[in-house]
Amino acid sequence: MATVDPAEKRRLFERLSSIREIVFGVQDGVLTTAGVLCGLSGAVSQHSQVALAALASTAAGALSMGAGAYLGARAEAEVLRAELHLVRADAAEKPYTVQEGLLDELCKEGLSREAAFRVVRLLSTAPRALESTAEAKMFGLGGAVLGKPALDGVVMGIAFLVGAVVPLLPYMLITAQRYDLGAALLATAFTLFGVGYFEGWLAHRSDRWRSGIRFLTIALIAAAAGYAIGLAISPLGATAG
Amino acid sequence: MLKPGDPAPPFDLECALDGRTARCSLAKIPSELVLIFFYPRDFSFICPTEVIGFNKALKEFAAEETTIVGVSIDNVDSHLRWARELGGIAYPMLADPEGSLARAYGIFDENEKVALRATFILDRRRKVAYSSSCPLNIGRSVIETLRIVRALRTGQLCPADWTPGVEFGPTGRDF
Repeated sequence: MATVDPAEKRRLFERLSSIREIVFGVQDGVLTTAGVLCGLSGAVSQHSQVALAALASTAAGALSMGAGAYLGARAEAEVLRAELHLVRADAAEKPYTVQEGLLDELCKEGLSREAAFRVVRLLSTAPRALESTAEAKMFGLGGAVLGKPALDGVVMGIAFLVGAVVPLLPYMLITAQRYDLGAALLATAFTLFGVGYFEGWLAHRSDRWRSGIRFLTIALIAAAAGYAIGLAISPLGATAG
Repeated sequence: MLKPGDPAPPFDLECALDGRTARCSLAKIPSELVLIFFYPRDFSFICPTEVIGFNKALKEFAAEETTIVGVSIDNVDSHLRWARELGGIAYPMLADPEGSLARAYGIFDENEKVALRATFILDRRRKVAYSSSCPLNIGRSVIETLRIVRALRTGQLCPADWTPGVEFGPTGRDF
């Protein structure tokens, strides 16, 4: 019989917890940069100016996304820690409220009241086990939920950079104005499809291509909208100049 | 919730008593006083402290001519298993699965679908002599309940925190 090493599985779950930052960062990096390229290509005629602006946008975006992810995760962790502290103080003062609460939760999950009572009574012999089980079952709180703000920020920033490079690199390498944007969009489309497919693979889905198509559709809509907005505001640039 | 002076709704329900199924009827309880204590559920973490507490004090209540009756919405099978889990309970644990008795006494919590922690002491005429209820998360004091029973049996005016041996209040007053 195949066995699962819990420690290894736990490490895997911890690694997978960064998947949100990776997918969000890559997707945002690809879409934002592709959107900037499309928008500027519609508004500005010089290839180098467009590339420079997209580079600046990429740097600012990566820093902003990284900082945002760090601050967001930190704020979330602080709020959750404060809540956990309150819950633990309450549990220490009135352990029976935790026992009753956990018993109710186990009953809701299908255990008979009698069986749930025995489980909770057994857990009560080890206060730490009772506490952590109650936190997870009653409040959905656990160590993993607290996250790692610094890591989240770094992962998000790097993911954004990686995503941004995808449309930017072909755009910068192909200087022929006829093909630069097309190459960037093609790379964007492949990458977004790939990210969607990768997400489907991680989720063990059989219809991974569907995830890829979804990402791709969003990209096409965003790119089309960006290009349309660029075209719409280009007369304003001409007026200001 | 019924208050002192109200007639007590009669009951004739299945119960768990000394490890077997029986019936318990208010009309057939011969003692001078009847202590009915409602509790929310079997297999919980506060109720057993009360259920065991009253069981331990059974002799003291009996000495005061008081019969103890416990009631919850659980069925008799649950009561039997619960009583066995607690090491045996020697007073009747009434099964009120529909909550009809709890509703008749006005202490059914419609949100939680359980009886509140309510205590009623019925006098010889089976009228409510004393009633109280507390939140679901707070257990009752068996000692305080016994003090009330003793105070009621004196038929005297008992000042605050009266216990046997302490002087009674002024006599000849209608209370």
